[in-house]
Amino acid sequence: MPDRIRPYDLLKSIVQLSNTSLPLPVKLDQMLQSISRAFQSSRCLLLGPEKIIPNGFLDRLALEKKPLWVEEGSPFRKENFFSEEEDLLRPPFACFPLYDETSSRGILYLSFPTGYRFSPQQMDLLLLVAEVMERTSRDDDFRQMVQRHEKRVKELSTLWELNKALLTTVNFDRILHLTLTAITIGEGLKFNRAMLFLVNEKDRILKGTMAVGPDNAEEAGKVWASLSQRNGTLSDLITQLDPESHSDLNSAVKGIQIPLEQEQCILSRTVLEGRPFNTQLPQSKEGWLQTRCERGCHLGSEVGCYVGEHLSRDPRIYSFATVPLMGKGRVIGVVLVDNLYNQNLITEEDIHFLSMFANQAGLAIENARLYRNLEEVHQELKETQTFLVHLEKMVALGEMSATIAHEIKNPLTSIGGFARRLDRNFPEESQEKKYSQTIIKEVSRLEKILKDLLSYTRDESLIFKELDLRDVLEESLSMVIEGIRSGGVQLVKEYAEEISLVKGDSVQLKQSFFNLINNASQAMKERGTLFLRVFPFSRNGSPCVRVEVEDTGKGIDPENLHNIFNPFYSTKESSLGLGLPIVHKIITSHRGQIEVDNHPGTGVKFIITLPAFKKGKENCVNSP
Amino acid sequence: MTQRAECLALEVSLRRGSRPMKKILVVDDEESIRFLYKEELEDEGYVVECAKDGEEAIEKVSVFKPDLISLDIKMPGMDGIEALKRIREKERQLPIVLCSAYGEYKQDLTTWASDAYVVKCADLTAFKSTIRRLLGLA
Repeated sequence: MPDRIRPYDLLKSIVQLSNTSLPLPVKLDQMLQSISRAFQSSRCLLLGPEKIIPNGFLDRLALEKKPLWVEEGSPFRKENFFSEEEDLLRPPFACFPLYDETSSRGILYLSFPTGYRFSPQQMDLLLLVAEVMERTSRDDDFRQMVQRHEKRVKELSTLWELNKALLTTVNFDRILHLTLTAITIGEGLKFNRAMLFLVNEKDRILKGTMAVGPDNAEEAGKVWASLSQRNGTLSDLITQLDPESHSDLNSAVKGIQIPLEQEQCILSRTVLEGRPFNTQLPQSKEGWLQTRCERGCHLGSEVGCYVGEHLSRDPRIYSFATVPLMGKGRVIGVVLVDNLYNQNLITEEDIHFLSMFANQAGLAIENARLYRNLEEVHQELKETQTFLVHLEKMVALGEMSATIAHEIKNPLTSIGGFARRLDRNFPEESQEKKYSQTIIKEVSRLEKILKDLLSYTRDESLIFKELDLRDVLEESLSMVIEGIRSGGVQLVKEYAEEISLVKGDSVQLKQSFFNLINNASQAMKERGTLFLRVFPFSRNGSPCVRVEVEDTGKGIDPENLHNIFNPFYSTKESSLGLGLPIVHKIITSHRGQIEVDNHPGTGVKFIITLPAFKKGKENCVNSP
Repeated sequence: MTQRAECLALEVSLRRGSRPMKKILVVDDEESIRFLYKEELEDEGYVVECAKDGEEAIEKVSVFKPDLISLDIKMPGMDGIEALKRIREKERQLPIVLCSAYGEYKQDLTTWASDAYVVKCADLTAFKSTIRRLLGLA
């Protein structure tokens, strides 16, 4: 038993300890040591609520909030103890429950050497000390609560700022970039890198869509240094950042596609289970040792193949976390984050915060996607509308042309007819003969133009017969053969021996081949080679016949190529520009295809593919 | 009129020898076309009579008794198709050549039971050879 306890010294040391910034357990421990020294107790403990056996003696004591001290030889009944408590409840000992208005914080317990005698002053001092200890721990609780709340408020305000940034646009790519920037920026969620994968429901795959983060440590340092110089609110800051022009990480992530069925991959699991994964260390449950993927990457996910193996210095210490992106009631994607450069630990709190943000970002991404779809549909509608307006114009133009053509046709017949009559009466070599010849020639040209115009604008119904395209091609050729023979054009015919018949209108097909051959011979200007080919062909498994008309002229100027099937578009002088449109119209009305193989400078090949006629099956070509 | 035509026919047939001259009725609403066809066909040795529409054509068929009719399709009043039907009711064997400014009616040729179809053109070679064929002169 101490000779003299100095209450002032003890209280001073206890109060001083309570005011230090030491962590609570350390503070309490040092207080216990001071008490023990002052009272020379054999044991001095703070029995927290977790150390008190429920319904035991000590538990009841704490509940009654009454201090108790028992000297040796005092009447003290042991039948109310639990056997585990016996060691503590051996007199002499003292217990001082710590409590506030609502709850118990345990018991300050002291035991003393044999023969110890308590004095009322000592017990009062211990009561006082117990109260200070209780207040100290209560203060610490408050401080922790305040800190937690402060952190939560900060998180919420960050979240609000980030959300504000997300509201600045409906552009899909921009939203993705904002989301990832928010996750990586220092004032935001502070991760080193963020990668985004979106679910493609149709193909059941998870597709790498975008990534934000420096490609290496030096770059990381540069980026962070430049960012810290910026001013303004967080939402201003991240909306001002431009997408990086190029990043290896971004390209790597864009190349990743993971089937959702690949369940051992953590990214797929994040989607399928709809919960975050924090893959910390190799020995952790989700680590690379437990989850190998088929491709044998270290992290058990395809991300590991890129991020773990190629982009991390050591895949074995690489840690990352994944959180699902929630859209409207479903998982629309995954965000993967890591701290590759500063190696900061990813805590559960980080994941919690990231999940909160991911929910908002998910909705924003979903909205942007819907908006984008809407825009696409709108664009399609606009194009259709433009097309319809164009079509309507063409129809009107067609009707007008037909009327005018008809009115001109009769006078032209008379002019040309009488010119011929005159012509027969003029002597050869006379001046009059030249005049009449000119009239006849020009009238013929006009008649040709009218014929083209009418055959393009009029919907003539077709008379379908079974045809051998070789014969049709020969007939077309006979119409221009004089011109070809007289010039220096070589003619090469390559006709297959076995050719299926085709159902078609011979007059119209003859017309279209004629137009092509005529164009070809004009393109070559009397020197070159004209190739004509007919051969069997298979298109999507159904038998067809192909006709090719190829020349060695100048080819088509690529600038004009997209216009060649448009009516009234001509590069030739003295042409209405209906030759190829007529061919196109005739071939499509035969359910055929026309393709152009253009080689500017060396020639052009027109390829016509028509469905072969199958005997007994009349479904090949019907009248339009 | 008929008298003049018969005189002319006689004259040409005398010039040509024993074969009687074939008579052609040209029906067209355009005066220039009628004029052209008449001149051209007379040069070929036919007797030509003209009518400006369907009604006149039907009248002249019974009076002029042509060996062949050249019939324009598009005419004001009774058009060529209607005239063709009416004439066919009486004259089953009479060869009729339908003429049109463009080939729009070509495909329905058979329904109208004309014997030939010619698209109008300043070059009358095809027209003339069709007529010669129908009259059995080719």
